[in-house]
Amino acid sequence: MADVVAAPEALRVVGRAVPRHDARDKAVAATAYAADWALPGMLHAAVLRSPYPSARIVKLDTARAAAMPGVAVVLTARDVPRNTLATDVPGQTATVGPLRATLHVLAEDRVRHQGEPVALVAAETLELARAAVEAIDVAYERTPGVFTPEAALAPGAPQVHAAGNLLAQWRIARGDVAAALAGAAVVVEGEYTTQLVDAAYLEPESGVAWIDSDGVITIRVSTQVIEHFRDVAEVLRVPQNRVRVIGTYLGGGFGGKEDVTVEVYLGLLALKTGRPVKMVWTRQESLLARAKRHPYRMRYRTGATAAGEILGQQIELLGDAGAYAYLSALVLLYSTVTAAGPYRVPSVEVQARVAYTNNPPTSAMRGFGGMQTVFAYESQMDRVARALGMDAVEIRRINALRRGDRLPVGQVIETHVALPELCERVWAALEPPTPPRAPHVRVGLGLACNLQPYGRIVWLHDWSSAWVGFEMDGSLVVRCGVPDVGGGQASSLCQIAAEVLGVSLERVSVHIADSALTPLAGTTTASRQLYMSGNAVLKASRELREQLLRVAETMLGAEAATLAMTGDLVHAPDGRTLALPDLLRECARAGVPRGHLAVYNAPAGEPVDLATGSGKVFPDYTYGAHAAEVEVDTETGVVRVLRYAAAHDVGRAINPQSVEGQIQGGAVQGLGYGCMEEVLVEDGINLTTSFATYLIPTAADVPDVEPVIVESGEGLGPFNARGIGEPPIGPPAAAVANAIADATGARLTRLPITAERVARALGRLDGTN
Amino acid sequence: MKPPPFDYEAPTSVEEALALLGRHGEQAKVLAGGQSLMPMLSFRLVRPRIVVDVNDIPALAGIREVDGTLAIGAMTRQRAVEQSALVRRRCPLLADAMPQIGHFQIRNRGTIGGSLAHADPAAELPAVVAALGGRLVVRGPGGERQLAPEEFFVSYLTTTLEPGELLVEVRLPVAPPSTGTAFVEVSRRHGDFALVGVAASVTLDEAGACVGAAVALTGVGPTPVVAAEAAAVLVGGRPDARALEEAGRRAAAAVRPDSDLHASAEYRTHVAGVLTRRALARAVERAQGGGEAVTP
Ligand SMILES: Cc1cc2nc3c(=O)[nH]c(=O)nc-3n(C[C@H](O)[C@H](O)[C@H](O)COP(=O)(O)OP(=O)(O)OC[C@H]3O[C@@H](n4cnc5c(N)ncnc54)[C@H](O)[C@@H]3O)c2cc1C
Repeated sequence: MADVVAAPEALRVVGRAVPRHDARDKAVAATAYAADWALPGMLHAAVLRSPYPSARIVKLDTARAAAMPGVAVVLTARDVPRNTLATDVPGQTATVGPLRATLHVLAEDRVRHQGEPVALVAAETLELARAAVEAIDVAYERTPGVFTPEAALAPGAPQVHAAGNLLAQWRIARGDVAAALAGAAVVVEGEYTTQLVDAAYLEPESGVAWIDSDGVITIRVSTQVIEHFRDVAEVLRVPQNRVRVIGTYLGGGFGGKEDVTVEVYLGLLALKTGRPVKMVWTRQESLLARAKRHPYRMRYRTGATAAGEILGQQIELLGDAGAYAYLSALVLLYSTVTAAGPYRVPSVEVQARVAYTNNPPTSAMRGFGGMQTVFAYESQMDRVARALGMDAVEIRRINALRRGDRLPVGQVIETHVALPELCERVWAALEPPTPPRAPHVRVGLGLACNLQPYGRIVWLHDWSSAWVGFEMDGSLVVRCGVPDVGGGQASSLCQIAAEVLGVSLERVSVHIADSALTPLAGTTTASRQLYMSGNAVLKASRELREQLLRVAETMLGAEAATLAMTGDLVHAPDGRTLALPDLLRECARAGVPRGHLAVYNAPAGEPVDLATGSGKVFPDYTYGAHAAEVEVDTETGVVRVLRYAAAHDVGRAINPQSVEGQIQGGAVQGLGYGCMEEVLVEDGINLTTSFATYLIPTAADVPDVEPVIVESGEGLGPFNARGIGEPPIGPPAAAVANAIADATGARLTRLPITAERVARALGRLDGTN
Repeated sequence: MKPPPFDYEAPTSVEEALALLGRHGEQAKVLAGGQSLMPMLSFRLVRPRIVVDVNDIPALAGIREVDGTLAIGAMTRQRAVEQSALVRRRCPLLADAMPQIGHFQIRNRGTIGGSLAHADPAAELPAVVAALGGRLVVRGPGGERQLAPEEFFVSYLTTTLEPGELLVEVRLPVAPPSTGTAFVEVSRRHGDFALVGVAASVTLDEAGACVGAAVALTGVGPTPVVAAEAAAVLVGGRPDARALEEAGRRAAAAVRPDSDLHASAEYRTHVAGVLTRRALARAVERAQGGGEAVTP
């Protein structure tokens, strides 16, 4: 499985906190983000969106808008060559039947959520495009909608789609839960509610498309998935090799740029007008219409022995998919698999459902269904500990998964689980406790752990590819189709190649995210890029090294296996060296390629029946433990997080600075989820479409997050790294809830944990909410 | 979004500004620090034909003490007031309130007059002026008017300023000796408008008895709420814990807040009571010469 772990001191580049090549550019505003691009003769595009959550379009007349001077084109569903984007979702057959997730490019006769795109305009200026959108003559007839998953699944509910409102359902049944709970010394019951939240990246959805001189429709776009060039081709009914997507450095993705955003619209408009077109969504548009994180309602019953061993857990999950399927079925699968947490639970029953409603659609967001469940299972863990008078670390230590254990879904854990160490490290980091500064203030500590898969579901047969090669002067080139969402994806690849091929980091150039020119690497999602593309670059680099050393072998008269590559030189055991340019010249003469393409295939498998619990779903998992110290004002309910520590076992930190960035950013985003963020929707109408109403934490609202990097040397990635993109967002909400319980005894079960909810839980308010 | 097109003038004297405002009447908007006006323009909530920028009128900025009052020019930056030793000494309640207005970046541009003229129902400054019974000095075509807070603040974002008029100054009484003050608030995030804010001032005599008290709340109604009944509890006696509790109860009874996205009316009412008690308690401590107390 894993490579032999090199001792950290033997590594020159990997494992060092080297400054990323993209960091300086971003700091001095030299990075050309998607919206920074412009071409001569470029048009500007705008979208007409539905104001209603559920309505029939009874009139859609674009004549007046199209006739406006300066308007190049107005498009509706009728103008889209193939108006449906479709993805088959594997594994979802049990109750719901085979699932084909479909989405209309532009609404046809019905709109199913507020903000659903109805028509497109391209015009000479943005102002004109917006004026033309307003000039489109559109009339709707409102139809009854459903606005909670409970209502959607009730008999007689209005149907969002013809096939019914139950979008997907997963089930796990392992052991005899009823018997386990009956035999437990303590049974804790809880119901938890999580809210709709937005990715809220700084950079909104944006891009520019043009038809290049080779006739290829070229789209330069902010995306996590350049492979959407295929979707664009489908919609336009052109061959897939006539569409090219160039991915830019992202100003944040967080899953919100995993599904198609502007690229299909841009492709359509460029094709119809023959001119370059730019589309940039406004903040309001992004907050209004972009797919968000699923709100969940979760019911848990957890039984444990008097010694604190968890015996069984009965779990019911219900999610709100909004109006379209997007990735809801898979998000729910993540929730199902992670529902019992990073613990050994002999008997588990999970019933998970997700339903269509006329709310804003939900899809991928950092944590991908592995997030909501943390709030529930870690609150439950804390309640069990409290019921038994046990310490927070102790209960987690005795129940933590260990290598060889099985998850409820039947998957065997094959790598080390560092959970006890992670708990102890964050707990120690918050010593000594802060004394309360006033009589009405209480201080408490909370702990929360999580597990998050890295790498895609094994039955998706994931792969990544990369090309690594030398130029004649000994400078190195890496080509890999990875989109860099800001996590340092590209920069880590450079470190890996530099490490293996013995050149300094400054000698490496990396070309990323171009569907025509870089080997495809798959999506920057699922905490998979370091794991997948890191392995592809590692493999390409190692194979290239072998290829080159076979030539050096003859030149130096020493066996390849005895040669070392460092400092732009090949070293023989006797101290003789060979300059890299000399070796490369010899390769050229002998016809030995100076570059190499490699494909990395992740461990693959076939869909498992979750219910019978028999198999592998994900390649592996990353584990974490977070601890929060909070101060609760027992009269106003105001909660301040005083200190925060977050530990993850990343196997090996390729760039510790990037790892710390992921941990701190994830923890802060998770604190926003825990304490303030909420997209408020009333009967399908979004009430929070600006940053004045959709509140995300600012630097002044969060404590310093102390990152604790643990390197177990076990992971499936390059140099035994694990993915760290998503994991740190999981635990904060539960850590804060547990700390509030520690401080006051009040148990908060609904997110976000606002001051008002805390005041209510403390009995300061009469009414219920 | 971007603002709709508008004309722009930057007069250099009050007279010139008044002439422009008189000429354009309702079509004109005054631009002070722009911290509220620019977002309103960008959201197209206001569509003036002309923006009259008063930032180039030096006479409108400055802090002076005259005859027992502190006179603060409308264009005085909030940050300048926050950092003024004169304000801290002579009108400590105003000094207490300043750091709670937005973020320092906002206060570097935002002005005293802009905040008062904007009349946001959750803003700090209207409550300070209401608690202290200050005067708002307004100039227009008909000359100068001096308005009491209850004559100036009408409703949400609404004052009795007429088109063509300019708020030129605010006057606040200098605090008597042995006065302690406090401004406490609860907001969703650091720098956000208050869910509830309380301005309190307490004056003691040499024996420690309360000879004067004032309380005003923000965020609990369309205009600042002066809770006279709450303040009255303290006057005439030595302020003790029972009196402070009672003052809090009365403040909660005096407010009729609305619910909105950020908090329910019930929560705001509850917090109004708690914060009134705390603000008065801290004011008393300070009047007694005590040190810093807790923030909510
Ligand atoms: C992120 C953010 C957070 C904020 N938080 C707070 C907060 O917590 N508390 C708070 O109180 N405020 C807050 N504000 C608002 C800030 O205090 C503004 O500065 C203030 O409301 C307006 O002052 P200004 O000088 O910027 O006025 P402008 O924005 O220039 O003008 C505001 C309005 O007043 C009118 N006006 C301005 N000056 C005059 C005058 N002299 N005579 C007549 N009319 C005039 C203008 O025409 C306009 O209608 C916040 C603002 C931002 C952007």
